[in-house]
Amino acid sequence: MPDQKLIKLKINDREVQVPQGTLVIEATRRIGTEVPSFCYYPGLSLQAACRMCLVEVEKAPKLQTACTLVATDGMVVRTDTDQVRQARKAMLEFLLTNHPLDCPVCDKGGECELQDMTYRYGADFSRFVEEKIHRPEEKWSELVYYDAPRCILCFRCVRVCDEGMDVKALGVGMRGANSVIIPNRGDHLECEECGMCIDICPVGALTSGTYRYKTRPWEMQYVPTVCAHCSNGCKTTLGVRNHEILRANNRDLSGINKDFLCVKGRFAFDFTSHKERIRQPLLRRGDKLLPVSWEDAAQAAATKLKAAYDAGGKEAIGFIGSNRTSNEENYLLQRLARGTFGTNNIDHHRTADYAGLLTALGDRAAFSLLTMEQLYQSKAVLVIGNDPTNQNPLVAWQIRSGIRHFGTKLFVIHSNESKLQRKANQFVRVAAGQEPAVLKWLAHEEGQLAPELVEQLAQLKAALEAQSDVAIVSGAEISGAALATLVAFGSKLPGQSRYMALGDYSNSRGAADMGLLPDRLPGYAHVDDAKAREAFEQLWGSVLSSKPGLTAPQMVEAARSGQLQALYVVGANPLVHFGNPGDGRGKLDLLIVQEMFLTETAKAADIVLPAASAYEKDGTVTNTSGEIQILRKAAEVMGPRSDFDLLRILSHQLERQGLGKAFHYKTPGEVFAEIRKAVGAYNVPLAGLLAGGAEATHAEFARNGLAHYDVPVGLIRSANDTLFTSGTLSRWCTMMESLPEADI
Amino acid sequence: MELSPKLAMKFEKLQTSYPLKRSALIPMLMYAQDEFGYISDEMIAEIARRLDLNNVQVEETLAYYSMLRRKPMGRHHVQVCTNVACMLKGGYQVLERAKKRLEIDHKETTQDGVFSLEEVECIGACTGAPAMQVNYDFYENVTPLKFDRIIEELDAGKHPVAEPVTSGALHDRHVLETPLISRRWGMKDSHRLDVYVKQAGYQALEKALKEMTPESIIEEVKKSNLRGRGGAGFPTGMKWSFVPKDSPKAKYVLCNADESEPGTCKDRPLMEMDPHQLIEGMVIAGRAINSHQGFIYIRGEYRYVLDIVDAAIAEAYAAGYLGKNILGTGFDFDLLTHTGAGAYECGEESALMESLEGKRGYPRIKPPFPAVVGLYGCPTIINNVETLSAVPSIIHEGGEAYANRGTPKNGGTRMLCVSGHVRKPGIYEVPLGMNMKKFIYEVAGGIAEGKKLKAVIPGGSSCPLLTAEEIDIPMDYDALAKAGSMLGSGGMVVMDEDTCMVDMARRIMHFYAHESCGWCIPCREGTAWLRKTLERFHAGLGRQEDIDLIADLAKNMLGRTFCPLGDAAAMPTISIVQKWRGEFEGHLRGRCPYKSAGALVGAR
Repeated sequence: MPDQKLIKLKINDREVQVPQGTLVIEATRRIGTEVPSFCYYPGLSLQAACRMCLVEVEKAPKLQTACTLVATDGMVVRTDTDQVRQARKAMLEFLLTNHPLDCPVCDKGGECELQDMTYRYGADFSRFVEEKIHRPEEKWSELVYYDAPRCILCFRCVRVCDEGMDVKALGVGMRGANSVIIPNRGDHLECEECGMCIDICPVGALTSGTYRYKTRPWEMQYVPTVCAHCSNGCKTTLGVRNHEILRANNRDLSGINKDFLCVKGRFAFDFTSHKERIRQPLLRRGDKLLPVSWEDAAQAAATKLKAAYDAGGKEAIGFIGSNRTSNEENYLLQRLARGTFGTNNIDHHRTADYAGLLTALGDRAAFSLLTMEQLYQSKAVLVIGNDPTNQNPLVAWQIRSGIRHFGTKLFVIHSNESKLQRKANQFVRVAAGQEPAVLKWLAHEEGQLAPELVEQLAQLKAALEAQSDVAIVSGAEISGAALATLVAFGSKLPGQSRYMALGDYSNSRGAADMGLLPDRLPGYAHVDDAKAREAFEQLWGSVLSSKPGLTAPQMVEAARSGQLQALYVVGANPLVHFGNPGDGRGKLDLLIVQEMFLTETAKAADIVLPAASAYEKDGTVTNTSGEIQILRKAAEVMGPRSDFDLLRILSHQLERQGLGKAFHYKTPGEVFAEIRKAVGAYNVPLAGLLAGGAEATHAEFARNGLAHYDVPVGLIRSANDTLFTSGTLSRWCTMMESLPEADI
Repeated sequence: MELSPKLAMKFEKLQTSYPLKRSALIPMLMYAQDEFGYISDEMIAEIARRLDLNNVQVEETLAYYSMLRRKPMGRHHVQVCTNVACMLKGGYQVLERAKKRLEIDHKETTQDGVFSLEEVECIGACTGAPAMQVNYDFYENVTPLKFDRIIEELDAGKHPVAEPVTSGALHDRHVLETPLISRRWGMKDSHRLDVYVKQAGYQALEKALKEMTPESIIEEVKKSNLRGRGGAGFPTGMKWSFVPKDSPKAKYVLCNADESEPGTCKDRPLMEMDPHQLIEGMVIAGRAINSHQGFIYIRGEYRYVLDIVDAAIAEAYAAGYLGKNILGTGFDFDLLTHTGAGAYECGEESALMESLEGKRGYPRIKPPFPAVVGLYGCPTIINNVETLSAVPSIIHEGGEAYANRGTPKNGGTRMLCVSGHVRKPGIYEVPLGMNMKKFIYEVAGGIAEGKKLKAVIPGGSSCPLLTAEEIDIPMDYDALAKAGSMLGSGGMVVMDEDTCMVDMARRIMHFYAHESCGWCIPCREGTAWLRKTLERFHAGLGRQEDIDLIADLAKNMLGRTFCPLGDAAAMPTISIVQKWRGEFEGHLRGRCPYKSAGALVGAR
């Protein structure tokens, strides 16, 4: 980072103050003066190749490239002279000589930097009468197409693939005017298929297999929302035409991920329009699930739930929630369980021990939780467990970016080789399951470990002790007591330690925060905490149980044994995740599922209610680092309703049956308003959220007295998704299924 | 994959020769190609594996260099030069003869796989123009008849005798010549250590190591007014003094032997006939900046020269002039040759460093300059062969004595290669500042066939051309700059009255378009555009407005490209349009009014 000493320079007679080390191109942007450029891209290495940013500098004999020129005190820069204008015009004239000018059929037409620059700075005629170089278009993968003649050779794609992604799948072939971009496997690409190269391309040289020739950019509406896949919560902007999502990108560089998106964020939205999408409520008739009307389905659900409640009492009913539904929906689901049915039998597939981390941190949580931005800016990062490249791509990107921009030191402890270790200052290989023992040694130098391992750990410890701050990122391998050991180690480090526990899915964190846990209310207050209970009882006008309920695996086991009579599932597949193959729904009398697709659990259900995906609803989600963001409805799919709607409808039906109180929230926003009141951690300023940013939850969870917390070994389980899987959802992502890399 | 024991050994050695493994990439590709004729997918994978690279890194580097190929060529790869010096002396006739005789076109191979043909850019045999190479063998002063004879012999399985030394290097010394660094040329076995030592060789090194400090060496070089002989003419002593003394990093001495400026062929004989002089100069330079490792980057076409330098380096190691504790002084210096693979751009210092690091030869952003951040990110001095070859003389006779050989601020002697329409094309060593007219008419024997002089390229094809009226000037850096041109690399090309200047402009642009690395827009697109327009224009399809367009496009490149290659293409073009505009007008009538040496439409 440029050091903070300020210097003054003059740009077009305006005095500008910038930190020492600032590039002139950045200084001009600071005062709103545009210096055009193609190859300059903040965060990537400098090129000075496109020569668009030539400016006049007093005392310099030639025009200078503003993208490589460091501003100095007293420098006098002009960006508006005839010479500068003429140079820009000349560069564009050169650029257009071999460019096909096929804008009418180019995907990029309308949002092309070359078009814009030519419009603004170019000539209104062409002097080029020679033959253009032509080459046929190449298909590099299902997702990436390359049209060489359109390419202006700014090398952004090559740099982002190498420097940004550390994949190095792109290179430059040939030389001179014949130069082209080449893929790593001769005539095709084999890579992470992130598509960064497509979005960073200023022209239509690299186009997207899922988007090409579908529409014109001005025919779409743009909806900023949050990616539906992993737990990192990347902002994505969905391009929507006629209620259908046609593409996803983040070209406005907003949000916690700036321009980063992985293959899932950029391309895996096609599940919304998959032909197997459930579009009508289904009701079991014998061994068949038959479509019925919404009225019949809602009535049947309420009647059957009431009957089960009357027959078996509140202990005979269980609820399993989702990692992907919004905070508001999760909040409503646990209100349904706790408020309407009076049971704490509520849980979800837990992929990270957020409660464990907060407990271990206690009062320290207020300043010890790591945001994505802090991760990027950390002096040192320790990754223990998880494979961020595959499971948490933004986390991996932030780490790589930190290494590139600030020289962050990286340390990795893992039971497997992983791509991230290439960038690591030290990689300590441990046996699978050995992570807690390793932490124990690090924290207390206790335990029996192989001498070679001890030596490596001692070296690691010494290196971490030399850092002024350390970001500690842990996977599902570390939960419960092991997390406490991790925090014990981190707090002994002389520098500031901050923590991030990595979960699997887009609202894994929100599910835990909203109390989809058998022993925790929203905000992690224990169910036996009378004061906390009382607050919710007043809000909902219900009586809450102080007895912890069953965990998700326990509920499935109870269903098998017959203890549990009814199970209500939202966006989850517990029969597969926690059940034994062949057991099916066990002895359940009633199974109701809110789902997008006929999962194994949905197939076994009595009633299936078609649910909207994250891209089809409003609400909020919380990423794994506890940052809340707004979901905005982008697509409109015929049939399904949001889980918010479904739960609302059900509550009204149940009230008619004499059970509980109907939910009178009109919008998810009203639920969020209640959450902000009820859960202190969520009482975040709204301005940032509404502006499309993320707001970190407050660390007020700690106040809720989480002492003596522990979680049974094995309860926290990562699905170990790869870049090309997304839990159950990826089964309905046709695009990802089509990638050969997905099989590797 | 299966490698011959020789190649496997070569690979093993290369992999461990450099501070960074990747540096071995281009030599490995070249030696692999020597054995297999081309680079296969398997070879790419093999080399990638050995150097911890991925395939695309190997592939993109390979694709940059014109000597490296992905498809087999003929057993005898015939490379005919048609660049300016060769063009003036009948290079295109040789090429035409080759196409007819072999019945193949540019970059094609005969059906039996015996011959392949390529029209190539300047191969550094300008004083022996027209010239060609068959694989690495040089054949010079080629006529269609001589061409046939060479092909017949190759066809018969014989090895026609290649040129033993660069044509024009050896000749009776003219009285105006002052041989200093070329003084051993022509002596029997002048490339050998024993001969060199007998001729006072390595005495300067002894003096530098035993009697001088690094500072006093630099001081002496400053006093000598030695200026870079590669083309830019930067004061050498000053360049050396920029190397930070307190840097904890390794420091490197680089010799730029990528001689490829059209018209220039002086480094080739300097290395083939006096390699020890260069080695000695490099060790002294190493001492001056406290470096312990030098590299000589030799253009790929000069393979036999590289072999000669390698042998000399081996001799120098054996005799203790290289390696550890040189001459018992405790000073260590290692030296390694490194082959290029066909890229003019790699003569640009920072592109050369990229290339030496095993990458595409793209130039680097400056600042930082190499003296601070150079090879492997370390302080580096990089000098031309001729510059470093002058260092032993400077140390030996003293900076002042050397300086006095030239004119103020332009110390010493200069190697000049004069080619084209002169009676005595050759490589001459004259004092800096000699009058150009005098040089052409006396030393080089005047214009051949009694014709009149039309134009002169003073120092390689990137210099603005001079008219016959403009040459009555001293040949030093400053005087030429005053005349609106450059002394450049010493490659003087002389054109007589029958030369078509439009054709000359076309051929010059053809070269720069071929060699543009493609990094920056104005050079990449500008040279390609100008090449096409000049080809069309010369072929008789020009329009009146093209004349201004040509000059204007060149001006749009000038001073705005990433590296000087764009200027190199623009400057001669601008000067030709300016000074011989009438010839352009003459072409508007539909054909070239001259008996043109160059090809018409379709020349590549």
